[in-house]
Amino acid sequence: MGDSQYSFSLTTFSPSGKLVQIEHALTAVGSGQTSLGIKAANGVVIATEKKLPSILVDETSVQKIQCLTPNIGVVYSGMGPDFRVLVRKSRKQAEQYHRLYKEPIPVTQLVRETAAVMQEFTQSGGVRPFGVSLLVAGYDDNGPQLYQVDPSGSYFSWKASAMGKNVSNAKTFLEKRYTDDMELDDAVHTAILTLKEGFEGQISGKNIEIGIIGADKKFRVLTPAEVDDYLAEVE
Amino acid sequence: MSNSVIEVPPKGGFSFDLCKRNEMLAKKGVNPPSFRKTGTTIVGLVFQDGVILGADTRATEGPIVCDKNCEKIHYMAPNIYCCGAGTAADTEAVTDMVSSQLQLHRYHTGRESRVVTALTLLKRHLFNYQGYVSAALVLGGVDVTGPHLHTIYPHGSTDTLPFATMGSGSLAAMAVFESKYKEGLTRNEGIELVTEAICSGIFNDLGSGSNVDVCVITKGGKEYLRNHLQPNPRTYTNSKGYSFPKKTEVLLTKIIPLKEKVEIIEGGDAMEE
Repeated sequence: MGDSQYSFSLTTFSPSGKLVQIEHALTAVGSGQTSLGIKAANGVVIATEKKLPSILVDETSVQKIQCLTPNIGVVYSGMGPDFRVLVRKSRKQAEQYHRLYKEPIPVTQLVRETAAVMQEFTQSGGVRPFGVSLLVAGYDDNGPQLYQVDPSGSYFSWKASAMGKNVSNAKTFLEKRYTDDMELDDAVHTAILTLKEGFEGQISGKNIEIGIIGADKKFRVLTPAEVDDYLAEVE
Repeated sequence: MSNSVIEVPPKGGFSFDLCKRNEMLAKKGVNPPSFRKTGTTIVGLVFQDGVILGADTRATEGPIVCDKNCEKIHYMAPNIYCCGAGTAADTEAVTDMVSSQLQLHRYHTGRESRVVTALTLLKRHLFNYQGYVSAALVLGGVDVTGPHLHTIYPHGSTDTLPFATMGSGSLAAMAVFESKYKEGLTRNEGIELVTEAICSGIFNDLGSGSNVDVCVITKGGKEYLRNHLQPNPRTYTNSKGYSFPKKTEVLLTKIIPLKEKVEIIEGGDAMEE
């Protein structure tokens, strides 16, 4: 296996044509907590597990789902600190776009610019790729959109997607349950059921996080009380 | 050691060399083109529930009125607004920039912006440019610590006041405030006082005119009353319209279309590349 000799340097291709560091980054993502997103007919929902390392951690201080602009939100799987850096950069890019064009940034543009940042870190010296995959959910003039951005900088638009541990089970579940004319509430229920599939322990409003954006184009993270309401509806 | 001046590369920061060149040229009689100044009367006052800002709407370019109804009350944050006097481009650019920075700050902290934050960002920027950014601002808003009103001068100094005026009409407006302001004004009294002060500027100062804009900011939200009062309506349009008697006789009318109508024929062959 000649690959292992090329695994230390990011900026060198291996003989099989892969950048092994990016493969390792994807492994880091694959061992992160499960997160998923579903695009409904009138909105998008993103959700993630919020398993904290100990019961002593103050769960109100942790927020995994973040808002990039009033109509675009993002969730991740992988390394939290890398996510924070990307969120900061994306927010600044969105704001710069707005200052220049006096228009809220379209979802595709923001995804493209974030992906460009992630790609920069795969082709520079002395840096490592980001150990996160992002799910970007937004609602603009082109309707509801869901994008996944990988550590390599490639991005895809999805109708429904999952990342992290348990990704294969989650994707199979989503493939079975997804319909094109799903409403936002149905999508939230499906998202909860998908998370429940691979969840270890008791699921509640305190150990999952859900963010939604509807036709009002305002992204918001549901409060634990609202999440508990949806959980009760699902059971 | 030689006596010649050694060229030192700039270490960073803004280079004021061209400003010195401009001053030297002005002394020799070569003047730069005049900027669009807002002339202006802008005011602000603190009333019992918050802050009221007011502005006139005339923009001047030397002796010419270039905009009869411009907007001088700029958005900074949902709870903070800023009136601008001086060079119109400077006030717009600087308020736009700080508004952007405040938005990013709100995302990072998850909290409502404070008026002192906007104040500090503005005064730092203006001080860095040593007064060359000609923006005199009246900044007002309501945040968790209460209602605040500040004035910011082009060189970067600030005042915190219960009532303030800036611009060429500031003396006219201040005269009204000094005689009629009292603490604990109600919303309607406050709006009336602000309108009176701006009108005083509009009628007594050449650089101010047209309409009155008012913005009321309270803890609950803001109300932007664009053209709250219009004391200078156009009164000279002839309601019957204008008609000029025809002087030349028409002998012959012939119309030749310049462009031939293009007919689209379906089902032709595609063009070869």
